Amino acid sequence: MEKKKGQDELLRITIHMKAHYRFPAGSHYERFFKEIKETGRIMGVKCPDCGRVLVPPRPVCGECFSKTEEWVQVGPKGKVIAFTSIYFPFIDGTTGKPRPIPYGAGLIQLDGAFSAINHILEEGDPEKLHIGMRVEAVLKEKREGNIGDILFFRSIEE
Amino acid sequence: MGRKVAIIGTGQTKHCSSREDVNEMELIYEAATAALKDAEMTIKDIDAVVLANMELFEGRALPDMWCGEGAGGFMKHAFKISTGGTSGTSGAISGYYHVASGLFDKVMVVGFEKHSEGNASSGMALTDPFWDRHIAAAAIGNFALSVSEYMADRGVTEEQSAKVAVKARRNACNNPHAHLQMPDLTVKEVLESPVLAYPIRRLEMCPQSDGACAIIFASEEIAKKRCPRPAWVRAAVTRHDHIYLGEVKKRLTIMRSLREAAKVAYDIVGIKEPLKEFDVAEIYDPLTYAEIAWYEALGFCKDGEGGKLIDDGITLMSGELPVNPSGGVISTNPVGASGTIRVAEGALQIHGRGGKRQVPDVNLVLVTGYGVYCWSDLLILSSRPG
Repeated sequence: MEKKKGQDELLRITIHMKAHYRFPAGSHYERFFKEIKETGRIMGVKCPDCGRVLVPPRPVCGECFSKTEEWVQVGPKGKVIAFTSIYFPFIDGTTGKPRPIPYGAGLIQLDGAFSAINHILEEGDPEKLHIGMRVEAVLKEKREGNIGDILFFRSIEE
Repeated sequence: MGRKVAIIGTGQTKHCSSREDVNEMELIYEAATAALKDAEMTIKDIDAVVLANMELFEGRALPDMWCGEGAGGFMKHAFKISTGGTSGTSGAISGYYHVASGLFDKVMVVGFEKHSEGNASSGMALTDPFWDRHIAAAAIGNFALSVSEYMADRGVTEEQSAKVAVKARRNACNNPHAHLQMPDLTVKEVLESPVLAYPIRRLEMCPQSDGACAIIFASEEIAKKRCPRPAWVRAAVTRHDHIYLGEVKKRLTIMRSLREAAKVAYDIVGIKEPLKEFDVAEIYDPLTYAEIAWYEALGFCKDGEGGKLIDDGITLMSGELPVNPSGGVISTNPVGASGTIRVAEGALQIHGRGGKRQVPDVNLVLVTGYGVYCWSDLLILSSRPG
C-alpha cells in the first residue's frame, strides 16, 4: 500500500546510471543524413510496389515488404497534419535533460511525401497552430548529419 | 481454430502509485497466488507460465530473470512477452494459444509493472535514436498530436472527453483493485486540470501505477470440471500498424489495427451489432479521447458518433453497453499488467465475481489492448464455449 505519513522508513536503494550506445545508421539513413548535412536537401524513398514516398526513408516498405531503392527529393515546404504544444518537462532522449517548455510539435507532411515527419514547430502557442497550415523546414547553419539539422518548422504565408 | 479454451481464475494486486511495501517478485506473487486461489489450484497444477511486462521502466533488462520465480515459473515452460502497452493482452493471447494448441492444459499468465521504481519518462525517451529521440514526448505528446487530428475530423469536444474521465474514476470506486478512485470528480474539475500537452489535461490521461494481474487458462475438459462458469475465449486477434508515428494515417480517427482486429474477430464469432450483442467491454483506454475513438473503431456507433455515446450515457454502468466497469486504464495503469487486467476484468464479469462492479447477466464480453503507436489486440470472451 502507499506509504503513510509516520510509517517507518522502508529500505530502498537508489542507482544513477550512465550508459553508452552506438547506433549504425544503415545505408538508407546514412544517405539521408549525408544529403541534409552536405546539400541541405531532404530526401525520401519511393516504394517500387505501392509508390508511397517515405520520410524517414524506410529501407523496407512496411505495407509491401519491398526494399525501397528510388530516392526522391521532398519538401522543404509542407503542411501540418497534427500538432500539439508540450507543457510538461520531458526528457530529451538525445541529451537526457528536460527540454525547455512550452514548445510546439507536429506531424509535418512534406511536399512530395506520403508519410509525415514528427518534429518541432517554431510556433508554440496552440491558438496560432492549425491543421493544414503551411510550414517550411529551417535548417542549422553548421549541420552535423542528424535529425537535429532541421531546427524546426516555421509557418509560411503562400 | 484449435481447442476450446477458457479462463477459470483471475487475481490482482491492489494497484496504486507506489507499492513501496513490496518488491517486484512479491508483487507478482500476490497476483499469482490470488489467481490460483480463485481457480482453486496450486502451482503444481500449472503446466506453463507466460509473463508480460514492458521492459525498461524499472531499469532492469530481462525483468523475468529477477522476479519470474514469483509467478511459479521454476522448472516449467516459461517465457515473457513484451509488446509495449499490448504486453498484457499479448501475454493473455499467448496463454490462449498455449492451451488451444493442445500442447498445454493449464497455463498461467502474469502481467506486471512497477512504475514507481523508475521513471516512465526515461523509458519512453528510449525511442528510435535517429528519428524519434530528438522530438518524442512520451505517450502524452504523441497522443496529443493524434487528438488534434481526431477532434478536427470528428468534432469530438473537450466536455465529451472529460465525461469519459469522470465515468472511469467513478467506476473505479466499485473496484477494490483500482488506483484512481474519485467518486466526486466532475467534468469541470477535469477541464480545470493542467494541460500537459495541448489539448490533453492531466485528468484525461492514465496514471502510472504499480500492480500485477494473473489469469489462468484451461482446456475444455479442465475448465468444465473446475469452474462453474468458465469465460471461454471465442476469438483472439492481434494487428500491428506502422512503427513510425508519421506513417500511421489518422491514428485515432481511423485506428486501422483495431478496426481490422475487430472485423476479423466479429466474423469468427458472428457479431453483427456489437453495441447490442456485447454485455460489457473492457477496452484499453490510455486517455479519454482514445476511448471515444475506440467506440467508433469497434463499431459501437457510426464514425463521428463516439462523443454522442458518452453524452447519452450508453457506456455508463447503467447504459446499454457498460465500458470499463473496472475504471479502465485511465484509472489504473501498471502498463505491462494493464492488458492482462482488461482480460481478467472481462473474465470475472462472466464468472460473476465482479462484486460491486458486476454487470448483471453477462454472456459476451469484448476486451482490447493498445500498444506502441498503433498496435491492437482484441479478445472476445463468452459464457458459451461455442
